[in-house]
Amino acid sequence: MLQLLRLVSIRHLSLSPLRTALTVLGVAVGVATLIGIAAINRAVMGAFRSTIDTIAGKADLSVSAGAAGFDEALLDKVRGLPGVAHAAGSISLIAPVKGSPGERLYVMGVDLLDDGFFRNYEGADRDVGHMSDDLEFLNSTDRMLVSEGFAHAHGLKAGDVFALLTPEGTRDFVVHGLLKETGPIKAFGGLVGVMYIGSAQVAFGREHVLERIDVGLGPGADADAVKKTLRDALGPQYEIARPDRRGQSVETMVRSFQLGLNLGSSVALLVGVFLVYNTVAIGVVQRRREIGVLRALGATRRRIRALFALEAMVLGALGSLLGIPLGTLLAKVTISAVSDSISSIYVQVNAKSVTFTPTEMIVGVALGIGGSLFAALRPAFVASKVQPVEALRRDMASGAAELNSFPTAVAVVLLLLVYPATKIPAPIENFPVGGYLAMFFILMGTTLLSPLVLRALQKLYQRPSELVLGVPGRLAADNFARAPARTAVPVSALAIGVAMTVCIAGFVGSFQKSSEKWIDQSVPADLFVTSSSKVAGVQNVPLKAEFGDALEKIEGVGAIDRLRIFQHDLMGLRIFIVSLNPEVYNVRGKPDVREGRLPTPQMREAGYVTISENLGRRRNLHPESTFQMDTPTGVRTYKVAAIITDYTSDQGTVFMDRRIFIEQFRDDRVDNFEIYLTDPRYLEPVRREITERFGTQYDLYVLSNQQLREEAFALIDNAFSVTYAMEFLAVVLALLGVINTLLAAVLDRTREIGLLRAIGAARRHIIRLFTTEAMLIGLTGGVIGSFSGYVLGYIVTKVVGVEATGWDFSYIFPYRLALQMMVAATVCAVIAGLYPARRASKLDVVEALAYE
Amino acid sequence: MITVDKAVRIYRRGKTEVRALNLESLVVPKGQFLSVMGASGSGKSTLLNLLGALDVPTSGTITIEGREISRLPDDELSRFRRDRLGFIFQFFNLLPTLTAVENVILPALLSGRARGEMVPKAHALLEQVGLKGRDHHRPDELSGGEMQRVAVARALLTEPALLLADEPTGNLDSRTGAEVLKLIREATRARNLTVVMVTHDPKAAEVGDRIVRLADGSVVGDEQTRPQAA
Repeated sequence: MLQLLRLVSIRHLSLSPLRTALTVLGVAVGVATLIGIAAINRAVMGAFRSTIDTIAGKADLSVSAGAAGFDEALLDKVRGLPGVAHAAGSISLIAPVKGSPGERLYVMGVDLLDDGFFRNYEGADRDVGHMSDDLEFLNSTDRMLVSEGFAHAHGLKAGDVFALLTPEGTRDFVVHGLLKETGPIKAFGGLVGVMYIGSAQVAFGREHVLERIDVGLGPGADADAVKKTLRDALGPQYEIARPDRRGQSVETMVRSFQLGLNLGSSVALLVGVFLVYNTVAIGVVQRRREIGVLRALGATRRRIRALFALEAMVLGALGSLLGIPLGTLLAKVTISAVSDSISSIYVQVNAKSVTFTPTEMIVGVALGIGGSLFAALRPAFVASKVQPVEALRRDMASGAAELNSFPTAVAVVLLLLVYPATKIPAPIENFPVGGYLAMFFILMGTTLLSPLVLRALQKLYQRPSELVLGVPGRLAADNFARAPARTAVPVSALAIGVAMTVCIAGFVGSFQKSSEKWIDQSVPADLFVTSSSKVAGVQNVPLKAEFGDALEKIEGVGAIDRLRIFQHDLMGLRIFIVSLNPEVYNVRGKPDVREGRLPTPQMREAGYVTISENLGRRRNLHPESTFQMDTPTGVRTYKVAAIITDYTSDQGTVFMDRRIFIEQFRDDRVDNFEIYLTDPRYLEPVRREITERFGTQYDLYVLSNQQLREEAFALIDNAFSVTYAMEFLAVVLALLGVINTLLAAVLDRTREIGLLRAIGAARRHIIRLFTTEAMLIGLTGGVIGSFSGYVLGYIVTKVVGVEATGWDFSYIFPYRLALQMMVAATVCAVIAGLYPARRASKLDVVEALAYE
Repeated sequence: MITVDKAVRIYRRGKTEVRALNLESLVVPKGQFLSVMGASGSGKSTLLNLLGALDVPTSGTITIEGREISRLPDDELSRFRRDRLGFIFQFFNLLPTLTAVENVILPALLSGRARGEMVPKAHALLEQVGLKGRDHHRPDELSGGEMQRVAVARALLTEPALLLADEPTGNLDSRTGAEVLKLIREATRARNLTVVMVTHDPKAAEVGDRIVRLADGSVVGDEQTRPQAA
C-alpha cells in the first residue's frame, strides 16, 4: 500500500506542486487558527486564574465580599474564631501607570507580618524578611516594593519615583525596594507592587477597608467546619471559599466571548477541509484513466479507496505540521488583542505569553488529519467506482455531469432542522448549543444544496455573460455549472467565509444600532467625565465624590449626575450596579421601560430597583420579583420595579438610587460624572476648562455624547476584531480553492482550449473565459454567502446572542457590507483566477490539441 | 494558393534536436484537394500545424493567399486562423456544452460577428451536411459521424481560404468515414476551397486531387490522382 502511495500518489502531488501547496497551506491555516485560539483562550483564563492562585498562596480559606470590601474590624473577629490559626487582611487594586497608556500595575496592600505566613516575598536588592520592622516603609503612604519586571520596564531603582493613578488623582510613589518575580509576584504578568496595608488604604482612598482575609487553619482543624463557623459568625454577605473555587463566575462570564473565537477558528478549519475535498475530488476526476489502469492491473476497490484516503491524510499531516508553528505565530500576534478585549469588557487580565500543551498540538494535528480523511471519503468512494475499461477510453472532457439527488435530500433535511435546533435550551449558562447547531445546519445545508443552485444560476448567467463578454462569457457560464459538484466546493467555501463575515457584521450592527438608540434615549448627558478609561467600566478608576463639587462650579454646567458603576456578584453573574441620581436621570433621560414602572422615591426607599432587560431574562426576573444581594452592610432583599433597556454589561445591570447605594455599599466614589449643560454652546468651553484644570491630575477623559457613542461602537467592534480577522482568513482560504479549481479546470479542458485557439480564439479570449468563470464563482459564493449570512446573522442575534448576552436586539441586516462582500468576493475571485487563466492562455496550441 | 519555401521545423526535446520537417518546396494551387500521407513521425502533422498557423517554422516561409504567416505574432495568427482557416480534427473537438448550431457559429462569435446574422447561415450549413433537425442537439446526443458533420459545417462557416483536416475519418467506421469524406469533397469543390488533409488511410487519400507522401520530414512522393482541376 505504501509502495503504491509513494509511486502513484506522492508523484501526483509533486507533479502539481502549486495545487498541493495551496491545499497544505489551507489545512495549515485551519489548524493554526484552531490551536492558536485554543491556546489564547487557555492563556487568558490561565493568567486570570494564576493571579488568583498565586495571590491566594497557602491560604486554606478566604473571606471576601466583592469589590466593595468590608470594615477592617472584621479581621479581629476572624482571628478570634476557633480553628483559625492565621488570618491576614489585604486589599488589591489595579492602578493605571501614569505616562504609559494601557499599562496597569497590580498593587497589593498587605500586612507583611501576617502575610508572610501565606505568601513568600523575596527581595531582589534587599532583605524583605524584616519589613515589619522597617518604620520608613510602614509610616509612609507612598513607599512601594515593586517587581523587578516593572522596575526594569521603567528603568526604576530603589529611591526612584513613579506615578500611578488613584481615586485622588495622580500620585507619586517611591520605589522602596525590588521584589524577585517568585511567589505572588508572578501574578498579573509580573507587574506587581506591594505596599503596607495601611499605606495602600490611604493612598488609594480605601481607609479602614479590607477586601479579603486569608485564613490558615490550626492543626487538625477541618476546613468545612471552620467555613461553617466563619459563616455563622460573620453573616451570609461574605463569601467564604477555598481559593481554588474563586473565579468561576469569571469563567462563565467570558465563556461566550471565547466560544465566539472558537467558532471563528472552526470555520477556518472547515474551509481548510473543503480545500482538501477539492483537491482529492479533482485528483479523482483527472486520474480516472490511471485508476482504470490500476484496476485493470488488479487493484481492488478497497485498495483504491485506501489510496485516496491515505493521500488526503498525507496532505492533512503536512498541513497540520505546518499549522503548529503557524498557530504559535498567530497566537503570539493576537494574544494581546484578545487579552485587551477581555480586559475592556469583562475583567482585568494580563496575558502576554502563550504556550502550547502537547494535548493541544495532538488535537490540532488529529483534527487536521481527521478532517482531511473525512474530506476524502466521498471522492475516494467515487474513485473506487471507476471501471477497469475506463482505462481504454479517450473521450474529451465530458459535458455537464449528472447531479446526485442524495446530497440535495440531506440538505433539505438539514435546513428543515434549523428551526427546531434553535429551540434547544442551553445546557449550561452562556453556551447556546442549539443556536450553534442551527448555524452548522445552515452552513452544511447550503453547501450540499449549492450544486443545484449552480445549475439554476447557469441559466441565469448565460445570456448576460454572453451579451457583456461575448462568447467567452457564454462558455464560462457553461463551464461554471459543468461539474457542479466540483465548482460547488470553492463556491461554498467562499460562501461560508462571506456568510460568517456578514453574520458577525449583522450581529455587531444590530448591537450598535440598539446601543445608539439606547444612548440617544437613555444616556442623554452632554459630557461624560471618566478617569483613565474612556468608557466607565472595569478599567475605570473611580474618583472621589468631591471632585463633582469642583465640576459643578464651572460656568455652563447645569446638573451633574454622579454614577458609580460597580462590579458585583449576583446570582452567579458578575453584574454592574449603576448608582445614579434618579432625580436627574429620570428627568433628563427617557429610559426605555420594557416592563413595570420606574420606582417612586418611596418605592426606592422600600427596596425597589430597576434592572436591565438582560438580567431579567437571564434570571427570569419581572416586576415585583425579589432577589437577594450581598452588601457590605448585610444581605438585602430587593424588588424589581421596572425592566429597562440597558447595554452597560452583557451580564446584567441593577440601577440604584445613589443615596441608597452609598448607605448600603459604603462606597461614595464616582466612576462617571455625567454633565448636563445649561446650553449646548458651553460644550467646548466646559470641556476645555475641565481638561485644563483637572485633566492631567486625574488622567481624565472628557467625552461628548457623540464621542461616547463612537467609543461604545469601537468597544463593540474591538470585541469582534479577532473573529472578523478569522472570517477574513476563511475568505482568503476560499480564494485558494478558486485557484485550485481553476487550475484543475485548465488541465481538464486543455484540448478544448487547444480547439478554441485552433479555430481562432486569441489569448485574451482564453483569459476572459477563465476569469469570467472565476468571476461567476466569486459572485455566486458572495450571493449564497450573503443569503445564508442573513439567516445566520438572525440566528446569532436572536438565539445565540440572546443566550450569550441576555440582550434581544432588533435584527438589522448589513446590506451595505453584504453588497461589499459580494463585490469583493467577485473581484478577488477574478484576481485569483488570473493565474490559472494566464496559464491556460499560454498553452501551446499544438500540444494542447494532442493532449489527452 | 499555398507556397511553402524551405520550411524547416526543429523541436528540441531535452538535449536532442528533432528535425520534424525539412520541406524544400511545396505549392498547392487554389481549389486543390491535397492529401498528405506518411507514417508516424514522417512530419505530416508538423506540416499541418504549420499550414494551420498553429505553429511557426524554425526557418523558411509559408505563404497562404499571399499572406506570409511564418513570422506573425500570436494574436495575428489567431485572427488569421479565425478568419481564413477551417479545421476538422480526428476527435471532432466540439465544445460539449454548446448545441450543434452554437458549435458551428463559434468561430464567427470569436471574431465578434453578430449572432443574428450567423445563425441562419449555420442552419443552412447544417442542412447541407445532412443534419437538418438536429441543430439544437448537444454533442453527447450526436453520433460520431454527426459530430464530424458539425465540425465540417463549422469549418465552412467563415468561408475560409484553406480547409485543414487531420485524420477526419480516423475515428469513424468505414462507411461513415466515406460519407464524411464525400461531404468534404463536395462542399469544398462547390466553393473552390483549397483542402489539405492528413491521413494514413490510402483509400481516404484517394479522394484528393493530389497525394504527397512524406518521410522523415521531406517529400518522397507527389502524384496527381486526376487531371488538375481547372
